[in-house]
Amino acid sequence: MLNELLFKFATWLDGFQSSTNLHEALYAYGWVEGTHVLTLTLFLGMLLAIDLRLLGVAFKELPASTLIERLDRPMMIGFVVMLISGALLFYAIPVRSTQSIWFRVKVVFIIAAGVNALLIRNMTRASDMSWDNDPVPPKRIRVGAALSLGLWILVVASGRNMAYDWWDCHKEMPYFMYWAAGCVNEMAAFE
Amino acid sequence: MDIVFIFEWLDASWLSDLARTSAGLFSMVQAVHILSMIMLCGMLILGDLRMLNVVLTGVPSDVILQNTKKWIYIGLVGIILSGIYESSAIAMKLATNSFFWAKMAGLAMGIVFMLSVRSAVYSRAPEVIASTGPKSDAVDAWVVKLVALANLFIWFSVAANGRWIGFS
Repeated sequence: MLNELLFKFATWLDGFQSSTNLHEALYAYGWVEGTHVLTLTLFLGMLLAIDLRLLGVAFKELPASTLIERLDRPMMIGFVVMLISGALLFYAIPVRSTQSIWFRVKVVFIIAAGVNALLIRNMTRASDMSWDNDPVPPKRIRVGAALSLGLWILVVASGRNMAYDWWDCHKEMPYFMYWAAGCVNEMAAFE
Repeated sequence: MDIVFIFEWLDASWLSDLARTSAGLFSMVQAVHILSMIMLCGMLILGDLRMLNVVLTGVPSDVILQNTKKWIYIGLVGIILSGIYESSAIAMKLATNSFFWAKMAGLAMGIVFMLSVRSAVYSRAPEVIASTGPKSDAVDAWVVKLVALANLFIWFSVAANGRWIGFS
């Protein structure tokens, strides 16, 4: 059901001439992808600094709240531009992206990283930042920071793997893989 | 000096065979390359934005620069090692690729600039930027900001040229 809906949505997007134009424009597509990677660097660079502090392995001389509060703006600027450029990349190749198992995995990891970030924020607020000046924060905060780094590493790795066609719909795969990738036509042929 | 022989040697090496035949390993190394770039450039951006007084203003710049140093070096080692592995798969193609040479020139310039000019100028940043107390040998604030912008530009060109290798 969800696979059919996503496929219809992707096919609808694919019908726009601007989608095809963006995909086929050598420089425009390259610039959008370049912007995506560069703003990923800004976003994850700031997040890395915060997470290393929360892990207690760097910036230990600074209160954790100083890094969290004052790196928030550049981090969010990077995130928003990354999100917009990512949406444009999706718009340029909607059907293949929707049917990419790596893209789906990437989205799941992004959602997990978002939930983890919310949990860390709630934990820090609930603790009144009583450990703010401690070189090594409490264990639950360190676990959250490690999870954050781990999830974003997986986001980057799965995003990179989208370039490969190992599990594209035109390949011969078990039914489960067709389902996981959302290959609706191949699934119908199976039945 | 003709250095094509280096690419010919790399192209014929066991590393090249491994890179061409192990797609799974190759994709993992590609991810390591991007993650190393994020670590290297992310920490450089943090230090440069601090010296531009854009982020963490008032926080002693020494603390930021000292803490970013280790991660910059780890990132640098990561991009070089993973880059050599990636290059081995298409060594002969890269030997004549303009974007590859632009990236290599930027990388060499970036490393030299970071270790010499950036390091020397940042250690002599005036109080208005560094927040570490007055220094007798402080340089003008505009010099520090110019170095920060130059460093950002150099590493931006390295990352951008690296991305364009894939399109050429």
